[in-house]
Amino acid sequence: MVNQSLKANSVTVEFVGLRALDNVSLTLNRREILGLIGPNGSGKTTLINVLTGQVKPVSGTVTCDGEDISALLPRERALRGILRSFQTVRLFSNLTVEENIEVAAIAKGSSRRAAGRIVDRLLEEFSLGAYRAELASSLNYGDERRVEIARALAAEPKYLLLDEPAAGMNEDESATLMQVLARLPQERDLGIIIIDHDMPLIMRLCHRLQAIAQGKTIGEGGVDEVRRLPAVIEAYLGADAVESEDHA
Amino acid sequence: MNNSKLITFVAIVIPVLAVMLAARFLGFPVFERIATLLFINMILVLGLQAFMGNSGILSFAHIAFMGIGAYTSSLFTIPLQMRGMVLPDLYPVLKPILLSPYAAIAVGAVAAMLVAALVAYPLMRLSDAAAVITSFALLVVMHTIMVNWSEVTNGPRTLFGVPKATTIYLAAGGAILAALVALYFKESRTGLLLRAVRDDEIAAGAMGANLSLLRWKGFVLSALFAGFAGGLWAHFITSYQPSAFYLKETFVILGMLVIGGAGTVSGAVLGTFVVTFAFEALRATENALNSSSVFPWQLVGLTEIVLALAMIAVLVLRPGGLIEAEEFGATWRKWRRRG
Repeated sequence: MVNQSLKANSVTVEFVGLRALDNVSLTLNRREILGLIGPNGSGKTTLINVLTGQVKPVSGTVTCDGEDISALLPRERALRGILRSFQTVRLFSNLTVEENIEVAAIAKGSSRRAAGRIVDRLLEEFSLGAYRAELASSLNYGDERRVEIARALAAEPKYLLLDEPAAGMNEDESATLMQVLARLPQERDLGIIIIDHDMPLIMRLCHRLQAIAQGKTIGEGGVDEVRRLPAVIEAYLGADAVESEDHA
Repeated sequence: MNNSKLITFVAIVIPVLAVMLAARFLGFPVFERIATLLFINMILVLGLQAFMGNSGILSFAHIAFMGIGAYTSSLFTIPLQMRGMVLPDLYPVLKPILLSPYAAIAVGAVAAMLVAALVAYPLMRLSDAAAVITSFALLVVMHTIMVNWSEVTNGPRTLFGVPKATTIYLAAGGAILAALVALYFKESRTGLLLRAVRDDEIAAGAMGANLSLLRWKGFVLSALFAGFAGGLWAHFITSYQPSAFYLKETFVILGMLVIGGAGTVSGAVLGTFVVTFAFEALRATENALNSSSVFPWQLVGLTEIVLALAMIAVLVLRPGGLIEAEEFGATWRKWRRRG
């Protein structure tokens, strides 16, 4: 079996003179959750955009299960199992919750009947059954986030990239979501990247962390290892990290 | 087709049949004419809905495909002995071919669809304003061709001698068929994906949706409707010129769709009925006012002005149209459950 992973290899991205990513590499394996941390504007979302093809790097490549996919369009990468959620939720607002999820299954090529089964299962898994026939535009923020993740899962991803999935959720909602997410890698042979600012949550959920600041990787490895790196503490965690360590 | 879709379909069929029977049996020929044109317009509006409603892209080119359907079907039905007179420069190949009007209308519809399939693909990558402007340019190009291709259109002059074949029954049947296809398309795999692309291009692309291909399918289907309506119209009106397929008709069809609600099939149908009745009422009022000389001057253009104002009012007050997002059947079922 070839190396089952999604990789960014020495990626550099420039936006009109600004170097958003500088020679960054990332590896996401199946069956793991990788936390991508770093201050605002450090390049986390840009890195996800590179992996999904929304942003073209000036140098570096992206490989999926050993194959170079740098030249593929976002939709072609989606068909290879790379799915994402967006930092600002992007649901299909005039479609119902059910249709939002069904669309992803159909785009992937599922039959109508198979798509229906996938929808039923995800609605239950994400406790969205009550909103099934509601228009996506009528949902509150936390529910929108869950629909977006369910939608990505309906396309049966091999790699799922979640950009602040718990933003705007209350504590209960975010705890429930984390329980669901924690099960996914094993259940679905899936690799997940999570960007989030809720450090306690990230630390509980992730198997590995990669920290980015000012477009460069400043640390990666096990959760405990990364959060103790001086560079990481300085760039990002600061007082919060010290505080949460006290609680632990 | 599930329950709520069936209710929507029935809610469309009932007024069509009611208007058809009323027009047929009230005994005024003018009613029959109005109703037949209403049904033909309904096919055009439903065709535009299939593309515009599901893709969210405004198309001005629609009426040009109606023209293709009209001219193509007429070429095959004008009686052989008249062709030398009507179209003196007609290509020899086409001179001896005579089809039944029904076959010719079908050929016209397919011709419009094929033209759309050929010209539209490169345009379907465009979104927003660029897409709208290109569709307008397409209308201008096709209109210019119709005006100048004398061999088959008789140029800007009237094409006549088209046999009358479209009855009120045929038009009503066509309208019901169009509603059925539009409802089916909206809920089909392509329709669903197209609506997803309409709501968010980037998110739909990130899930694997091929936006150009989806839009192209919608556009080609919409041209098929327009070509079909054009053939029916030509065999109802029997003589016409290229100006029939230009801005005035574009505005009427667009007005019906926008007022009714482009996002829904129910809205497209409601808009067609509302605008047709309003038009006829206004026209009658205009005639009555003019003949009774209430004003010292003649009223002209009341219908167009009121349609334009109605469109503005709808866009300001209810941008999605009278039936915005939910088909009639779904609303009815929710209402019944609560009631």
